[in-house]
Amino acid sequence: MTNNPVKPTACKLLDIMPQTQTEWTFRVKNNLPIKHGQFMQLSLPKVGEAPISISGFGDGYVDFTIRKVGKVTDGLFSLKKGDNIFIRGCYGNGWPTEQFKNKTVVIIAGGTGVSPVKSLVNMLCEHSNYARNIYLILGFKNSHSILFADELKKWQTASHFHVIYTLDDENYPGFKKGLVTDFIKEIPFASFDNEYECIIVGPPIMMKFVGMGLLMNKVPEKKIWMSFERKMSCGIGKCGHCRIDETYVCLDGPVFNYTIGKKLID
Amino acid sequence: MKHAQTYQLTVNEMNEFLEQLSKKYDIYAPVRISCGGRYAKDDSIIYQPINTYQEIEFHERSTYPLKEVLTPITQTLFYFTEDEFKESKSPQKDVLIFGRACDINSIKIQDQIYLQNGGIEDYFYKRIRDKIKFILMDCPEQFEGCFCCSVGANKTDMQSLAVSDNNGSAYVGIYDSDFNNYFAKYSAVDHEIQTPLENELKVDYPVIDNLDLANKLKEHPMWKEFDARCIGCGSCTVSCSTCTCFETTDIVYTQNAHIGERRRTCSSCMVDGFDKVAGGQSFRKKTSEKYRYKILHKVYGYNARFHTGPMCVGCGRCSARCPELISYPATLNKLSQAIKEIKGGVQHD
Amino acid sequence: MVEDCNIKKLRNNCFRQSKVPGEFMLQLRVPGALIDAKWLDVIKHVCQTWGDGTFHLGMRQTLNAPRIKAKDIPAVNEYIQPYLQAVECDMCDVKMQTKDGYPYIAPRNIMACIGGIHCIKGNVYTQRLAQKLEKLIYPNPYHIKISVSGCPNDCGKGHFQDFGIIGCTKPIYTIDRCIGCGACVRKCESAATRVLSLNDKNKVEKDPCCCVGCGECVTACPTGAWRRPAKDFYKIILGGRTGKQYPRMGKMFANWLTEESVLSIMKNWPKFSEWVLGGKPIYIHGGHLIDRAGYQRFKDFMLDGVNLNPEAMIAENINWAETEYRSNIHVKPLDKHLSVK
Ligand SMILES: Cc1cc2nc3c(=O)[nH]c(=O)nc-3n(C[C@H](O)[C@H](O)[C@H](O)COP(=O)(O)OP(=O)(O)OC[C@H]3O[C@@H](n4cnc5c(N)ncnc54)[C@H](O)[C@@H]3O)c2cc1C
Ligand code: SF4
Ligand code: SF4
Ligand code: SF4
Ligand code: SF4
Ligand code: SF4
Ligand code: FES
Repeated sequence: MTNNPVKPTACKLLDIMPQTQTEWTFRVKNNLPIKHGQFMQLSLPKVGEAPISISGFGDGYVDFTIRKVGKVTDGLFSLKKGDNIFIRGCYGNGWPTEQFKNKTVVIIAGGTGVSPVKSLVNMLCEHSNYARNIYLILGFKNSHSILFADELKKWQTASHFHVIYTLDDENYPGFKKGLVTDFIKEIPFASFDNEYECIIVGPPIMMKFVGMGLLMNKVPEKKIWMSFERKMSCGIGKCGHCRIDETYVCLDGPVFNYTIGKKLID
Repeated sequence: MKHAQTYQLTVNEMNEFLEQLSKKYDIYAPVRISCGGRYAKDDSIIYQPINTYQEIEFHERSTYPLKEVLTPITQTLFYFTEDEFKESKSPQKDVLIFGRACDINSIKIQDQIYLQNGGIEDYFYKRIRDKIKFILMDCPEQFEGCFCCSVGANKTDMQSLAVSDNNGSAYVGIYDSDFNNYFAKYSAVDHEIQTPLENELKVDYPVIDNLDLANKLKEHPMWKEFDARCIGCGSCTVSCSTCTCFETTDIVYTQNAHIGERRRTCSSCMVDGFDKVAGGQSFRKKTSEKYRYKILHKVYGYNARFHTGPMCVGCGRCSARCPELISYPATLNKLSQAIKEIKGGVQHD
Repeated sequence: MVEDCNIKKLRNNCFRQSKVPGEFMLQLRVPGALIDAKWLDVIKHVCQTWGDGTFHLGMRQTLNAPRIKAKDIPAVNEYIQPYLQAVECDMCDVKMQTKDGYPYIAPRNIMACIGGIHCIKGNVYTQRLAQKLEKLIYPNPYHIKISVSGCPNDCGKGHFQDFGIIGCTKPIYTIDRCIGCGACVRKCESAATRVLSLNDKNKVEKDPCCCVGCGECVTACPTGAWRRPAKDFYKIILGGRTGKQYPRMGKMFANWLTEESVLSIMKNWPKFSEWVLGGKPIYIHGGHLIDRAGYQRFKDFMLDGVNLNPEAMIAENINWAETEYRSNIHVKPLDKHLSVK
């Protein structure tokens, strides 16, 4: 037997790109095919494993944007370029990108929630005729927690992008002060001709309120997509941590349509 | 049950038989651990490797389940150095396990998770599972709280052999021709080894046929009492034949900090931390929520995903081990009642 | 006319003087405090036939019949003979005559909590040890108060006995059964001595020095990773007492003794008492004997010929803290000192 789905493979750490003090992007050598919105299990021998969303990928590499919160992530932050990171995956269903073709895409993300949509947003930015218009509301806590500053600028200048960047409680150039929910009303849903899809990613409480905000703006439930984060140990439907009733977030998600997601009650 | 040739062996003959088997097989059976129980002078019964027939505990339910042979409480998955992960050694011999009907049936549920779920086979489970044959133990005396018959776990055809202890001798039934040659020197006797046909305890196992009903049940007041009663210790799930959850942990050897192990350790949705994510948030903080999650997995979630019935074989271990005397069958009855109320449109505030 | 009664003799016979002249209270010993319920009929009969129909539950777990007339005592002794035979001779294997009632009162009834036969906290079968101790100290003219508790909760109030014997366990940890849930760690912290912690391997670490031997970790563990070994352990709390002069709580004399060690230590008590009192038994509390001899000589006597188990620990010194009802109560002329010369 050679096929061991939980056996990680050593991959070279190509680059480290700090975003904030506690959130860095790690570029790791990779040649596996990836879908936007999937995640991988990163591990450091001696320390452990952690599921991390793919925040970007390209020829021969994959990016992870990681917040330093505990054992494994602390360990990852102590690595240097050229060190090995062990990875397995990819896991999860990813965003239903086919659904977004030729439609307006509304993306509302908060904090580290930006990272699971980042590669998708980049793709939509680079291929301006894949979808139609892109409405992007991204929120951060304060100026110190802004992620992907370079990308934010690039997206702002793309002609088919309409962006609103927010900070919870700080005035800062290029950002509006307030929560992402405060700006949902600025999205002209009525003008989309029903040809649109919405994406929400962020902490559970943020997703809940954004979801409610969208519904209040008469967005049909089936046009809303969200990415769930649950405790995960295996990523392959064995350990049980991510299960909600008959649903395994690692296998069936992390991306769920709102019609399903609203019923996932822990 | 398939019909079997049955032989009667003395204890000495059984021991000879086991000795011959041990050349090819590691043999596991429930074994009594003196003073291993929770309270003073109480024993426990745990699945362990055996050499002789007398080590097997036939007359009391094992405290801990058969699954421990396949998924030990702590299992080394990999040995690693800075730059390499190496799988731990596979079992060398084939494996024979003594188990009752419910115990053997519980492995179908373990298989469902470890081999079927998501179409992904767990390497560590499969490599031992492929080597296992079962020896069915009959249940002439049933134990307090057994309800295998209520969940259809009283019958099995997964056994290769069956053994019935008969005070100083044993009946052995053969269901797998691989074992025929061991019995060439004996003549068959007319005796059929039976699995339970009826339990004293009958449980009307609740059926929840859709997610909306399950979600409504989550709001039902029936769970409230468990905030005060359940202490979230996890005894029920650790001892459960059909629970499968685990944690993964890396450890470093103190002598050599560069090498270590990645381990899998049994885990439980009843225990704090099971659902804790970055930022310290958890989704089920109260024990009533944890208990509800456990029960609904057994009754609803598992069947809704796999359509093979409850995630339960009625072995009764969960209730037998609960230090707070929370009866799982009593909860199932309350759940049935709650389902009736919801279907009948009763409102709770 | 006041009836002529030898109250000392009657006391020795376990009939205690009443404030009403000529009346006495019978105290039936119940070593280990567990007997067949049928014996309740015996005490009931005594109370109703020779007493005033009331029954008193003795402070040391004796069965008491108040208000018995001195003249009836021979009849009572005859009636209780089967009880003495069953409880003292058969149950405890005590060698004694039973036809004239109890021969001595000085070794007080050996108290015990219900312990491991019932209690979820208990580590040991308290009755079993109490019964074995009864055989060592009874019948005997030397006073001693003993209690046996099933666990360090010490429901037997061993801290206020001459010898408070407390059942303990030295839990065994099977690392591979541990799921790192921390239940034992939290329990040891909330109920015992805070000696457990989870290490970076998510397994349990123990500071064995201060484990009180309660077994709470065993009871808390969902997986059976902690278990009690078959071998029981005991600690002995020494020299506790109540009283009018200088009550005090006992201090630990010995820890991690096996039953065998406990018994061979306690076997030395009569010999020690005899030595302190110069072979002239008087009704004086055991704790005072220890005071007269001094702890060091007490220790030498009690450990004489004892083959301690390897885990055993013995107090090198003991510093009791007394409540002196009169300050400097021990300061007195040399010739009033009670210490054995
Ligand atoms: C599908 C998915 C995608 C994720 N994507 C990202 C990402 O792109 N960037 C990022 O920084 N983080 C991401 N996370 C969260 C990340 O997995 C956790 O922060 C990480 O596992 C913490 O590990 P640690 O050892 O550093 O922390 P620990 O020391 O283990 O614990 C710190 C905290 O993190 C919690 N935690 C531990 N394991 C997990 C887990 N598997 N899932 C969630 N929380 C956990 C602990 O309960 C604790 O509260 C993602 C999680 C999931 C499930
Ligand atoms: S839930 Fe209880 S009765 Fe059912 S399999 Fe588990 S331990 Fe046995
Ligand atoms: S009941 Fe809990 S521990 Fe058991 S399998 Fe389900 S989630 Fe896992
Ligand atoms: S139900 Fe009982 S065994 Fe299960 S976690 Fe609660 S208290 Fe523990
Ligand atoms: S026996 Fe008591 S004191 Fe000792 S480790 Fe266990 S809980 Fe703590
Ligand atoms: S209670 Fe048992 S399983 Fe939990 S940490 Fe302690 S020894 Fe381990
Ligand atoms: S992460 Fe293990 S089952 Fe989903």
